[in-house]
Amino acid sequence: MDFFLQLFVSGLALGAIYALVALGFVVIYRASQVFNFAQGELLAVGAFVMVALSRSGLPWGVAFVATLLITGLVSLAIERGILRRFVARSILASIIVTIFLAAVIRIGLIVIWGTDPRGMPTPWTSTATVQLGGASVLVNSLAAVGAAAAALAAFFLILKHTRIGVAMRATSSDQEASLSLGIPVGRVFAAAWFIAGVYAAVGGVFLGMFPRTVDPNIGLIALAAFPAVIVGGLESPAGVVIAGVALGVIEVLAGGYVNPLLGQFGQNFHTVLPYLIMILFLVFRPYGLFGQPEVRRA
Amino acid sequence: MPTRPLLTRYRDDLRLFPDLWHKVGLALFAGVLLVYPFAAGSYWLSIGNVVLVTTVGAVGLMILTGFTGQISLGHAAFLALGAYTAAVLGTRLGMPFWVILPVAGLIAAAVGLAVGPFALRLRGLYLAIVTVGLLFLVNHLLLSFPQITRGVAGIGAPTYLWFTEPGTPGALSTFAETWSLGPLLFTFDRKLYFLFLAITIGAVWCGKNLQRSNTGRAMTAVRDHDLAAAVMGVSPARYKIIAFGVSSFIAGVAGAMFAFQQQFITVDPPFNLLMSIEFIAIIVIGGLGSVFGAVAGALLYGAVGPVSHTVSGAIPYISALSSHQQEILALALVVTVFMVIEPLGLLGVWLRIKRYFLGWPFRY
Repeated sequence: MDFFLQLFVSGLALGAIYALVALGFVVIYRASQVFNFAQGELLAVGAFVMVALSRSGLPWGVAFVATLLITGLVSLAIERGILRRFVARSILASIIVTIFLAAVIRIGLIVIWGTDPRGMPTPWTSTATVQLGGASVLVNSLAAVGAAAAALAAFFLILKHTRIGVAMRATSSDQEASLSLGIPVGRVFAAAWFIAGVYAAVGGVFLGMFPRTVDPNIGLIALAAFPAVIVGGLESPAGVVIAGVALGVIEVLAGGYVNPLLGQFGQNFHTVLPYLIMILFLVFRPYGLFGQPEVRRA
Repeated sequence: MPTRPLLTRYRDDLRLFPDLWHKVGLALFAGVLLVYPFAAGSYWLSIGNVVLVTTVGAVGLMILTGFTGQISLGHAAFLALGAYTAAVLGTRLGMPFWVILPVAGLIAAAVGLAVGPFALRLRGLYLAIVTVGLLFLVNHLLLSFPQITRGVAGIGAPTYLWFTEPGTPGALSTFAETWSLGPLLFTFDRKLYFLFLAITIGAVWCGKNLQRSNTGRAMTAVRDHDLAAAVMGVSPARYKIIAFGVSSFIAGVAGAMFAFQQQFITVDPPFNLLMSIEFIAIIVIGGLGSVFGAVAGALLYGAVGPVSHTVSGAIPYISALSSHQQEILALALVVTVFMVIEPLGLLGVWLRIKRYFLGWPFRY
């Protein structure tokens, strides 16, 4: 039972990161119909900026807020500088551009910060644990879950109650109609990318904490978040959050319970399990958890 | 704006070589291809071999993405399957290459056909993401059975038997020995070049013939509007699965060629998302929907690497990067420029040149 609880909490923490990354994909996709394959590299930018800022002596909270802003602005710059040219072009164009962008950002990170793993500073002792029932759980895991929950709540409040949130919803349902009604679609793109950048940074900071480290490969987590996006549905923010958390928990539980049963094949089996679940989902519910079956007209 | 003379008969539309210009141009190109391995040094010869492998892979992806409109980011998975089939059959069973090449294609095609039905329910971005999943699953499988594939340690692809065991005396004993034919020396790399050239011509021919057949036109219909195609009696499911099968067969052959060329392969790198996207980039900068595009894109891709090494030596910071990183940067730059300026790729450039001379001396 304690083993289960321990796995469950670390699964929740991983799932919270998946949810943040997946939400970043969805926010950008809903606004600009671009699937941003560079989302993981934004997360890496956030993690590295955080490490650099807090090593320069800034207090943790200040460094954290500054990291969120900087990563958001980087994301905004990517949209304005590069992807704005590819509005309304084929999805192939945006796929190619964002994947190459991801590769270029990764090279940039390696050039600036090297490939050595770094520890992510935490305001508490980085290996601190809390007793939860009989299990000892890392404070880092709980903090990740809490931060993700706060960030997600903020997102849904913005989407529901602010002007820009309403504009974002309108744009996602029909870009041209929103434009003709005077909704500043350009500003919606900007807001979406900024938000996605901020969420990537939150994910990066908490993902980089003990027991993990910050290195240029940290952005590969985004590839692991793809199944959450498909299972939840590309258009559905609530769906990907639920799917992200669920897949994180399933992945860690499978790593604890299923892998040992499979012998050699079980090595790293848990990392591909979300993809298997994704494929099953595609067979039975190709439009995702909460997605609507698409009606097509010629 | 027309880019070719007006055609009045279907037969003219189906011709492989429509006029004298095409015949002369292709003959010149063929001459260059035949002389190239003797004129080029060993570095450029190996670049040539890589280009040939890339061309075959690009033709495979062109059939799936360019003709049928199914975006696949899992192309590297089929190449990996082909490459590992070649390496395993060569190392464990000592099979000759001419058995290995089709078997590699068949195994990749079997997986492609198995994936096809899943792909039928998906379009566009969803398919792209799911094929990324396929790539991860294939890589996981290849790493999970180290007793067969040697896992992360990597495996050699050594077998170049030419009909007989190595060591058997005679001019045709092994592929790795140098042959001499009159004044011409056929070193291993040159023999590989001519073998690859033959396969590449086969793949290009196959792609071209597929495009101008019933199947090819049905694929184009599915790409342009699958619902409308279905209404007109073209079954999208059938042609998508055919496209997956043919494309993965060719990719498997390309993978086996890749293994023979590299002689030693590991799973990741090279068979990762970046390889898939490089193939996508090749067919896009070449020109989607044409075999010409696959060939032109692969040639340009082959040139980007060496040029980037030369150029980036002169640029501060960039010169400190590894050669692979320089290549990625150069390719990213080339691709982005093409996407912004000429979305039709090299095919678009070529058509514009042709149109200019067709109308000359008038502008239109």
